[in-house]
Amino acid sequence: MTTKLAVNLPELQERARRQWDDLKHGDQPILWVGVGTCGLAAGAAKALTAAREELAAHGIEARIVPVGCIGACYLEPMLDIEEPGGPRVCYAEVTPEKARLIVQSHLVEGQPRPDLALGTVGEVEAPGIPRLFDLPMFAPQVRIVTRNLGLINPEEIGHYIADGGYGALQRALGMDPVAVIKEVEKSGLRGRGGGGFPTGRKWRSGREAHGEPKYVICNGDEGDPGAFMDRSVMEANPHAVIEGMMIGAYAIGSHQGFIYVRNEYPLAVVRLTKALEDARKHGLLGDNILGTEFSFDVRISRGGGAFVCGESTALMASLEGRPGEPRAKYVHTVEVGLHGQPTVLNNVETWANVPLIIARGGAWFASIGTEKSKGTKVFSLVGKVRNTGLVEVPMGMTLREIVFDIGGGIPDDKAFKAVQTGGPSGGCIPAQFLDTPVDFDRLTELGSMMGSGGLIVMDEDTCMVNVARYFLEFLQKESCGKCTVCREGVSQMLFLLNRICAGEGREGDVEVLLDLCELLENAALCGLGTTACNPVRSTINYFRGEYDEHIREKHCPAHECRGLFRYEIVAEKCRGCMACLKECPQGAISGERRKPHTIDQEKCVHCGLCFAACRFDSIAKV
Amino acid sequence: MALTIDGKQVEATPGQTVLEAARAAGIDIPTLCYHPAVTPYGACRVCLVEVSVRGRRRLVTSCCYPASDGLEVFTDSEKVRRARKGVVELLLARAPESARLRALATSMGIGEPRFPSVTHGERDCILCGLCVAVCREVMGAAAIAFVDRGVERVVATPFREGSEACIACGACAAICPMGSIEVRESETEVEIAPFKNRRPALRCQKCGKVIAAAPFGERLQERLGEKLTLAVMTCPECKRKATAVVVKKTGAVGGAWSHARPRQGKHV
Repeated sequence: MTTKLAVNLPELQERARRQWDDLKHGDQPILWVGVGTCGLAAGAAKALTAAREELAAHGIEARIVPVGCIGACYLEPMLDIEEPGGPRVCYAEVTPEKARLIVQSHLVEGQPRPDLALGTVGEVEAPGIPRLFDLPMFAPQVRIVTRNLGLINPEEIGHYIADGGYGALQRALGMDPVAVIKEVEKSGLRGRGGGGFPTGRKWRSGREAHGEPKYVICNGDEGDPGAFMDRSVMEANPHAVIEGMMIGAYAIGSHQGFIYVRNEYPLAVVRLTKALEDARKHGLLGDNILGTEFSFDVRISRGGGAFVCGESTALMASLEGRPGEPRAKYVHTVEVGLHGQPTVLNNVETWANVPLIIARGGAWFASIGTEKSKGTKVFSLVGKVRNTGLVEVPMGMTLREIVFDIGGGIPDDKAFKAVQTGGPSGGCIPAQFLDTPVDFDRLTELGSMMGSGGLIVMDEDTCMVNVARYFLEFLQKESCGKCTVCREGVSQMLFLLNRICAGEGREGDVEVLLDLCELLENAALCGLGTTACNPVRSTINYFRGEYDEHIREKHCPAHECRGLFRYEIVAEKCRGCMACLKECPQGAISGERRKPHTIDQEKCVHCGLCFAACRFDSIAKV
Repeated sequence: MALTIDGKQVEATPGQTVLEAARAAGIDIPTLCYHPAVTPYGACRVCLVEVSVRGRRRLVTSCCYPASDGLEVFTDSEKVRRARKGVVELLLARAPESARLRALATSMGIGEPRFPSVTHGERDCILCGLCVAVCREVMGAAAIAFVDRGVERVVATPFREGSEACIACGACAAICPMGSIEVRESETEVEIAPFKNRRPALRCQKCGKVIAAAPFGERLQERLGEKLTLAVMTCPECKRKATAVVVKKTGAVGGAWSHARPRQGKHV
C-alpha cells in the first residue's frame, strides 16, 4: 500500500535539499562506498565491512552512503571519506586492510592519506590531493548522462531531486506535448542503442501514429560483450531513465511504459524497482502526476538470456510472452509495436539524456558534439588499455584521445593495434584512423559503427582473425535461427574462421567469407544478421595480411592461435631453473640445471604451460 | 493502387503484399515458407525482391512487404539473383538430399553446392515454420512450435514428448514443402512422425478402415456440424459409394450435388 506523501514538486525539492544539507553539513562523517556491480565484484562489501569494524572499534558513528559506479572501474573498490565541512576524499583499490588504514588515518587521526587517495570530489579541496575530475582519465570527459554516477545514492530519490531531478518533468508537463517533441528534435539526439535514429523524429511518428493505448519501452537488454554503459546508468542513476521515459510518454500520449532489463543485471532490477516504488510514493508516477491530468506507470520485465532480444521487435515479442524472434520492420514499430500498438522504444542512455535536454534546452545539447552527432556518448572502455571503465565524451572527440588520454594508453608498452566499436555488430578500426572523430557517421564510414558504446582496445598480441572468429561464435549462439541467411550464413562463416584459426584455411576462403558478408548484409531479416558481416569484413579489409599468413603459412603473427606459432627458449636469457621442464606435460623440454634448456618442437603440443611457468621472460613466442 | 513490377504496371488492393500482387498478375516469385492459408513469416528468404523507395534500393521479402501505390519492384535484378542464389546454396548445405531444393537450385542455374554441410536439417527440415503456423492458426491445436535457438532450433512438441494437443490431422505433413513430416497409420492409431504424436484411429463406420485420427474427426464434427457427420465418419471409398447411390436415386448429374443429401441414419 503506497501513500502519496506529496504531489508538489517545490515541496519535494525543499525537503530533498534539506536532506542533502543534513547529510553534507551534519555532524557525522560520511563514508561513500561504490557498490555498483564493478565495485562489488572487486570486493567493496568486504572493504566496507572492514571499515565498519574499524569505526566501531573507535566508537565513531558515520553515515554510510552507497553510490554507484563513478566510471573508474579498474580502481574499484572505491571508498570516499568526507568529514563534516571537509573534503570528500576518494580512495581507490581499497582492500579490507587499506580500509582499516584509511579509517584509522583519516577519521581517527584526522589525517587524510594523499599516498592512498585518488582525488577529491566536490568543492572542498585537500592539500596534496588533486581534484578527481581534473585527473587525466576524467578531465576530457563531459559528464551529462553520468553526471550523478558515484555521487548520489541511487536508492535515495531525495538525492536525485536535490540535484534538480524531476524538474524537467514538471517543465515538460507545463508544455504542449508537441513542444516537448520539438525540443528533442532541436537537440539532435540520436538513439544511443546503436541505430542512431533521430529520437525526436521517432517521437513525432509515435505521436502521429493512430491507436490507443500507446507504449514507451526502455531497452535495457545491453547484450554486447564488454558493454556496461546501460547497466551502470540503471544501477547508479535509475531516476534519470524513469524521468526521461515519463517525458517521452507525455510527448507521444502514452500512459504505460516498460523497462526490459536483461536477466543478467539483477542489481539494475533492484535499483529500478526501488526507484519506481519511491517515485510512486512521491506522486511522481501513477495517476495525476504532479497534480496534472497526466497518468503514467512503468513495469519492469526481465529478459531470459538472449542477445537477440535487444532487437526491438524481438524485445516486444518477448514482452508479449512469445519467444524472442524479430520480424521484418517494413511496418515500423512506432505504428505497430507492442501488442500491435504504437510504441516508442529507446535505449537506456537515450532516455537518460532527455531530462537535461528539457531542463537546459535542445539548443544547449546541440552545442555539444559534431554537426550530425550531437551530445555525448558513454563508452565502456575495455581491453588492452590501462584505465578501463566507463567514460562519457562529447561526440567528435578522437579515438586517440579516448584511448591514450583518457584510457592511459596500452599497458606493458605494447603497440596499439585496433579498437573495436559496436560489439558483434561493429568492426575493428586500425591505428591509421586513431585521429578519427568519434561520431555515428564517421565510424560507419570506416566499416564499423557506434553501436551501444563498447570500445575494445587491442594490441599487438591480439589476433584479428580470432577477433572475427570470437564475434561470429557469439553470434551463432545468439542467432534466433529464424532466417536462413543468418542461421546458415553465420555458421558457414564460423566454420571457415575456425578452420583458418586451426591452420586448415585454404586459398579462396577469404573470398567466400566476403561473399557471405555481402549476402548477410543484404538478405538477413534483422540487425543481428545484417551487421554480422562487420567484424569479418573490417578485419579482412584492414588486416588482410593476418588472414593470408594464417592460410598460406599456417602462422599466426600475433602468436595467439594455438599451434600456429612456436615457443622457443631464448638461450641467452634462460637461467636453467628447470621450471618449464617440470611443467611440460609432453616431456618436450630438455636441459640441465643452470644450462639453457631447449624445446623439442616435434613433441611440443603448444599448450603454453612453459611460457606461463617461466619467471625470467626467457621463452619467446615465434 | 498500382505498383510497377519489372517495369510492368500491376494493380493491387490495400493490405496486399508485393508477393500477392505479383502472383495475382501472373508474375512468378519463388517461395518456400509462404502459404496463403497462414500469416507470412519471412524466414526462408527465397522470395527476396528489390524495391526502390525514395531512390534507395534494398532487398525485402516480398511475402511480407506491403504493396503501395507507385512502388517499384524488381524480381530479377542482379542483386536479387545473387541473393537468391546464396540463400538456396545455404539451404542446400543444410539439406543436401532434398529433391525440392535440388529442383529449385537447378531452375536457378546452381550446379555443385558451394558450401559444405555444417548444419543439418533433420529430414530436410528448413525451419520454414509452415507446420507450426498451420497447426496454430488453421487447426487451432498449437501442438508443435519452434524450440531452442539458432542452429539448435527445431520444431517439436512441449518437452519433446507426444502431445495431447495434437489432433493428428496431418495438416503439418500436408503443408510441409520438404516432406519432412510423415503421417503413419496403423490399425489402432495415427502417428505424426517425427513428433511422436500418437492418437487413436477413427474407423470408417461402413467398412471399418482407418480413415483419420479420432481427435481430428471430433474437431471436424465440431467445425462442420451434425449434417456432415456421415461425411466425416466414412472413408473416401464408402463416401463415393454413398454419393453414387444418392446421385442415382435423385437423377442428379453434374450440378445438382447441393440437393443430394445422405439420409440421416440410412446407410446404403
